[in-house]
Amino acid sequence: MPFRTRSAYAFLAPYLLVFATFWVWPIIDSFLISFQNTRINPWKYSFQANWGRLFFDPAFYNALYNTLIILVIQVPVMIALATVMAVLLNSPLLKARPLFRFAFFAPVVVGEVAYAAVFRLMFSLDFGIINKMISAIGFSPISWFDNANAAMAVIILAVTWRWAGYNAIIILAGLQSIPDDVYEAATLDRVSKTQQFFHITLPLLKPIILFCVVLSVIGTMQLFTEPFLITNRGGPGGGTETLGLFLYRQGFTALNFGYASAIAYTMAALAVVISLFNLWIGRDPK
Amino acid sequence: MRFKLLAATAAIALLATGSAFAESANLTIWSWNVAASALKSTLPGFNKQFPDIKVTVEDLGNSQVFDKTLAACAAGGDGLPDIVSIENFEAEIFWSRFPDCFANLKELGYTADIQSKFPDFKRTELEVGDVAYAMPWDSGPVAVFYRRDMYEKAGVDPSTISTWDDFIAAGKKISAAKPGTVMAQADFNGDSEWFRMIANEQGCGYFSTDGQNITINQPACVASLQKVKEMKDAGTLTAANWDEKIQANTAGKAASQLYGGWYEGTVRSTSPDLKGKWGVYRMPSLTADGPHAANLGGSSLAISATSANKEAAWKFVNYALGTNEGQVTMLKEFGLVPSLLSAEKDPFVSEPQAYWGGQKVWADILATLPKIVPSRGTAFQSDAEGIFRATQAKFFAGGYPDAKTALDDAAKQIAAATGLPIAQ
Repeated sequence: MPFRTRSAYAFLAPYLLVFATFWVWPIIDSFLISFQNTRINPWKYSFQANWGRLFFDPAFYNALYNTLIILVIQVPVMIALATVMAVLLNSPLLKARPLFRFAFFAPVVVGEVAYAAVFRLMFSLDFGIINKMISAIGFSPISWFDNANAAMAVIILAVTWRWAGYNAIIILAGLQSIPDDVYEAATLDRVSKTQQFFHITLPLLKPIILFCVVLSVIGTMQLFTEPFLITNRGGPGGGTETLGLFLYRQGFTALNFGYASAIAYTMAALAVVISLFNLWIGRDPK
Repeated sequence: MRFKLLAATAAIALLATGSAFAESANLTIWSWNVAASALKSTLPGFNKQFPDIKVTVEDLGNSQVFDKTLAACAAGGDGLPDIVSIENFEAEIFWSRFPDCFANLKELGYTADIQSKFPDFKRTELEVGDVAYAMPWDSGPVAVFYRRDMYEKAGVDPSTISTWDDFIAAGKKISAAKPGTVMAQADFNGDSEWFRMIANEQGCGYFSTDGQNITINQPACVASLQKVKEMKDAGTLTAANWDEKIQANTAGKAASQLYGGWYEGTVRSTSPDLKGKWGVYRMPSLTADGPHAANLGGSSLAISATSANKEAAWKFVNYALGTNEGQVTMLKEFGLVPSLLSAEKDPFVSEPQAYWGGQKVWADILATLPKIVPSRGTAFQSDAEGIFRATQAKFFAGGYPDAKTALDDAAKQIAAATGLPIAQ
């Protein structure tokens, strides 16, 4: 190896060492652990204990289902909302634009624990403002945390509230990078505003929106804090248990590291599949 | 490993240098809610005897203590405090998976003499062979805590409530007398306490008493789950977690709560303005001639093997749990029902309690103790608990035709997760 290459690696060594110890090794080790029965002392190789269980475990399918439901409902709704918010924020008619920009972005700054506690209170059965409002317009109050669908709705609302503004700001940046002369030309050609939105704005925004979708999908796959805190560890009875929570429960509550590792690898595989799907959707049509 | 050796050597060195070090120490304890407050209440008495041992009680919340302790044990005891509070029914996972995480109390002075001051059933889950990992603390004889004024207003006499059907009928009267109030609340969102209490009263649990079989689909458990659903459907029970129950108590939205005896301290300390308005009666049963006695909760204290102050920690544990003074203080201040047999005979137990409208609540609650058949947690408690909660939620939402099918499915899932056989 030439001297220059060697010295480069020498300078890289501290980082590579840390990377190998805290990244590469755990990734390999957890793969090995996923093939072991970790509930007996000492651990023993057993394919059946984890991988054999995973694909027959209703709790796993429940967590997978919940994660996909959030993915399929929350992500598109939030991105659509964020796009609308961004277009409104970009409107020249809007006064006090910095104030609104800040207001939409503010939820991201709020601590997760704090906002989870507030959502929990807002949706409380007897004392929550949401049920007070529902009663005021003549419907019977909803027991939000006691019904799996209602609890899921709360999670989706909470996540959307928190991240829609963040995505709107990203999309707004994309909007502002679209040159004005495109719109001017369209206006001269008597293209209506609505048509401009669908035929100019959206196509030019596509890469930005795709970026937001990828970010949101990753975020949803890792969703943990909201169902942990707002619906009390994925309650009722696993009704909002996501894959992340399921992994945590198996790993750190039932102390079954082998099974938790198998779940982690399945989640990683799923993330790869979904990313490939995203890339395929966003490919350049040529 | 080298670290463990080092720690062990250090500990031996400390022991060898005698009591000069052991007498002055800073101890940290992990605990939760009322249990943490109760431990704090024993400190003045403890520091009178041991002024140089400073004790800090950290209230982390129940499930956090469990999770953090497991994680710390998995990390070889790194980060553990000197003393950890452990609930009996989830204790066995610690001893079976991490036999070296906690100190053997027998080596610190937990003699056969002291052991015999506790009932056997409290000790079985805390001792493995020759090793005693933890000392029994309290138990949770179940009772109904109720609002005298709300019952009276509805014309309900609690002494006539002897079955759960009576309880449902009384609940209808109470909700009718004051709209917006509910008979009782259950944590359907994050717990299974109602099922566990009613099933335990009927002599059924997730696992058999020897911990070798799954018994969750036995007829007594099926009947218990069925009854919980009936109460939910009848509106007798609404969903509320620990904090929401307290909010409802204080706001007068709930007429009763079913819990272990330790809830006495929670009611008294969180709703001080309602003095004289609360009372206690024995839990209903499925049949009028049922045992009317169950247990929920009950904890212990263990000393971590990595603690540098094991001697001092033992002094505190033995004072708080092994003396009448410590145990009765916790009973008086926060309603923790002592496991220490001699403390149950303390004169305080038979005194009328002003907060409870002059009722001798402790005599009433403790009278159920001899009839309690404790249920075994086993090392698979959290697996079974997670599966049961999911089953319960699905059953309530109409996902199973009946309680038997629901619990058969739960039993099958627990068997798949644990490898234990389902009892015939």
